[in-house]
Amino acid sequence: MRFAMRLYRALARAFPHEFKIVYGADVIQLGEDIVEDIAKRNGFLGLVRLVADLAIRVPIEYLSEMRRDLVYALRTLVRSPGFTVVGVLSLALAIGISAVWVSEMLNLILRDAPGARDADNLVMVSGVSYPYVERYRDHRDLFTGVAALQLDVPYNVSLSTSAGSATPKAERVFGQLVSPDYFSVFGVSAARGRVFSPDADKPGSAPVVFISERFWRERMDSDPAAVGRTMRVNGQTATIVGIGPKDFLGVTPFMPAEIFVPTTAPDSMAPELSGDAIHKSDAKFFNALLRLAPGVSFKSAEAGLDTITRQLDQETLDPARNAKGRRVMLLPGGKVLPVPREFLPVMLGFALLLDGLIVGIACMNLANMQLARAMVRRKEVAIRLSVGASRFRLIRQLLTESVLIAVLGGAAGIVLAYWATSAMRKMKMPFSFPVDFDITPDWRVIVFVFAISLVAGIGFGLAPALAATKTDLASTLKEGATGDTRGHQRFGLRNLLMAAQVAGSLGLLLITGFLIIGFSKTNNVEVAFDPSTMYLVSIDPVRDGYTAEKASGLFDSLAERLKHAPGVREVTLAEAPPYSPQAAVFTLSAPAISGGPDLVVSGVAKNIVGPNYFAALTVPIVEGRGFDIRDQRLEASKSPALPVVINQTAAAAFFGKSEPVGRRILDAAKSYEVVGVVKDLSAPMSATEPGQGAGVVPVVYLPLTKTEFAHPPANGMIVMIRSDRGSDAMEGVRREMAAIDPNVVVFNVHTLAGQIDDTLSYIRLGEFFYGGIGVFGLILAAIGLAGVTAYSVARRRKEIGIRMALGARKGQVLWLVLREGGSLVIVGSLLGLLGAVAMSRLISAFSSLVGPAFVAGAHDPRLIIGAPVLLAALAMLACYIPARRSTRIDPLKALREE
Amino acid sequence: MTNPDPAAFLPLKTNWFHILLSLTGEEQHGYGIMQEVLDRTGGKVRLWPATLYGTLKRLIEAGLIEASEERPAPELDDARRRYYRLTRLGKRVLDAETGRLEELVRIVQVKRRLEAAP
Repeated sequence: MRFAMRLYRALARAFPHEFKIVYGADVIQLGEDIVEDIAKRNGFLGLVRLVADLAIRVPIEYLSEMRRDLVYALRTLVRSPGFTVVGVLSLALAIGISAVWVSEMLNLILRDAPGARDADNLVMVSGVSYPYVERYRDHRDLFTGVAALQLDVPYNVSLSTSAGSATPKAERVFGQLVSPDYFSVFGVSAARGRVFSPDADKPGSAPVVFISERFWRERMDSDPAAVGRTMRVNGQTATIVGIGPKDFLGVTPFMPAEIFVPTTAPDSMAPELSGDAIHKSDAKFFNALLRLAPGVSFKSAEAGLDTITRQLDQETLDPARNAKGRRVMLLPGGKVLPVPREFLPVMLGFALLLDGLIVGIACMNLANMQLARAMVRRKEVAIRLSVGASRFRLIRQLLTESVLIAVLGGAAGIVLAYWATSAMRKMKMPFSFPVDFDITPDWRVIVFVFAISLVAGIGFGLAPALAATKTDLASTLKEGATGDTRGHQRFGLRNLLMAAQVAGSLGLLLITGFLIIGFSKTNNVEVAFDPSTMYLVSIDPVRDGYTAEKASGLFDSLAERLKHAPGVREVTLAEAPPYSPQAAVFTLSAPAISGGPDLVVSGVAKNIVGPNYFAALTVPIVEGRGFDIRDQRLEASKSPALPVVINQTAAAAFFGKSEPVGRRILDAAKSYEVVGVVKDLSAPMSATEPGQGAGVVPVVYLPLTKTEFAHPPANGMIVMIRSDRGSDAMEGVRREMAAIDPNVVVFNVHTLAGQIDDTLSYIRLGEFFYGGIGVFGLILAAIGLAGVTAYSVARRRKEIGIRMALGARKGQVLWLVLREGGSLVIVGSLLGLLGAVAMSRLISAFSSLVGPAFVAGAHDPRLIIGAPVLLAALAMLACYIPARRSTRIDPLKALREE
Repeated sequence: MTNPDPAAFLPLKTNWFHILLSLTGEEQHGYGIMQEVLDRTGGKVRLWPATLYGTLKRLIEAGLIEASEERPAPELDDARRRYYRLTRLGKRVLDAETGRLEELVRIVQVKRRLEAAP
């Protein structure tokens, strides 16, 4: 009984402060009065009831208090709609952006690929040859499983109808070319049928194919008898041996694979294997998927693989064998989007920086507004404190309001994030293969947003709440709400916040401005003719069942035949569309004329183009010649030096001021002879090496030859057709193509204008996005300054009244008020400018994609001078409007308010 | 608050009803209310202390009862205890609830009589 009473008293003390003051003693008293009676009447159970009653009521009292706070907070917010709208919207934007970013992290970079067993132990190396993968297999101390694969392999697929009627139209789907042990290394088993295995799938066995569940569902209507059926893959008949489990889309679901073909398939079904690619150590277009042995870390595997690869390079006399630096960059193998671990800090850092700035600015702004409001409420707070409310309780009540705004903002942010991610998903990506860009926020993101909202709400609410409740009761009640006559505090919390906010906003504006100006500077596409008069269409005869021989025969006469179509002026071929992003990743060298060491140039892009390419694009040939049909007929493997055309940037990089035509360029085992120099073509969104100018990429143009025709890239071979303006040439081209061979599928028909538009839509999205963020920060800073100035005017009403009564002119009063805001703006601007410049240096040193844009943007005087001036102008305007009010103060009225 | 409608409180929660009932006619302190309810219901309804004071608080907030300033004769008074009494609104609410219950009882009786009739 004594124990029950002790527990009872302890619980009674846990009641909320206000309840305890009024009823605490009564509850304890009553408990003491009745406890003996209860023990007598109801025994032990009665004591339990007595204590349980209290244990239930304590949280109920807290909840009811919270509910009252919430209702009170809601009422307050409804009464000041301007504050509420700004608060909720600014937080919604800030939190929405964070939610998208977190969602991207969780769903792309950190998420395990569906179907992978023990995904954290899977790693991948790209750009290796099949013989290397075979040799990796020998290192059982490092890897328990090793498989080879090619990603994003296009297949022309047609399903034979059971009735055997007209052959259905072939569709182009993307899949992976995998070694038979791929599935066992990845750890996935078939939902129906079987997976490939080294025992069942040997070179020479009948062609087989494995399909994804999505392919089975969407293209075969979930046919229960699908396993065992045949389909045509690249013109060859193959048997479906298995169907993957639901959601399994290969090792990199970001680039989904619908069908899987084993590396044991014949060349006709997998043209990627033509030329005995399986046994060539210089055919480096495979990826190795490796499963780490128990106890082997990512780092040690990377180091081990690096050593092994170096040894193999020596054995095979690989041209890169003497290159300095690391040879192998290990990628995570079981994640939706493989991102090298070493990129993560930069990616995370940049996102965190922008995000932190945005959320931080929004919070500082709200804190400022809350502070200003808290001062207005000082009297109310003082009264409540004097009638016995605890300070903690009042702080909690003020915090409820802040948290309520934050949670509302968070909820709106989630809606925003849903909208943004679904818009992103619908966007066309500048890749030649399909991507699943699904980063719809899930419950984890919602939890994260809720947590951020709480932290933000407490973050921007706590300081104002503390300040509001730290009042000297007597003087506040006596003075009235606006009676503060102290001079302004130079280092007050509010001023500090304001300067920080101005600095943050300017930093944000500058960083985003650097990006935008840099983007538009480096990604300007200049075309010498109307790009809507050029059509780009793709064909891929090898995957329509052609042999390599027959395919090169087709391409040999294609241009001539298509020129017969009415309206067609120029026809040319290329592996990749013009004016598309360049992968400047190759390292080539130019032998010096007079002995000496070779000049090595890295960050070079290679483009493989057909005859008449430059004429069709009206690109001036500065020196030498372009390609013609003779170059296309060359046997690449037999000719000692393939003719190449280089752009002016490449000419300067390789040969400086000396004559380039006739000189050699060395590429791995191959040697090129420069036959011409052309003007630079625009290369938007190209990653360049550090040190290279923005938007300037050295390009080496190689001629299209039989090798390429035997093995066209993912987007097929691009036929570029320039027509007379006005006449719709496509009709005639289609007719001509059908006359050549109706079985060759013409796909991906679009104009050059559309192509450029798609590429630039990214940049435009980026500009829009970053511009939006910059403007957002600007607006918040203006609102914050206006709020602070308005508050300052209200606070100094009496002082201003006295000054005016003593004869101060309006201008002097205005200056008095503006001076305060102005000094904040100047201090904040200086800090922001320094911060942004330092930050942009840091970022451009780390990232090759945004680096050049940053460098280009950071040197733009429009920004360095314009942004602070714009901010300052806006800030002064924001100060001026409320400050003007100060001049309208009637001195008599202000003084009479005493 | 402008004259709230007593009907807005109906049907009254059991605890509320018991407390209002025990305050009719006389002021009571917490212990007294608990005892009266216990006696009146033959020990079936016990208002446990925390529930009792929690309910009293809500009744005060709703304006149905108020803490009394007057104290009984000193020899009967326990100085530590606070006394409560019905407000006018409290009386009207209790009346309204009683009326509601009477109406229900009347309906039940009429139905019984109808059933009993051949």
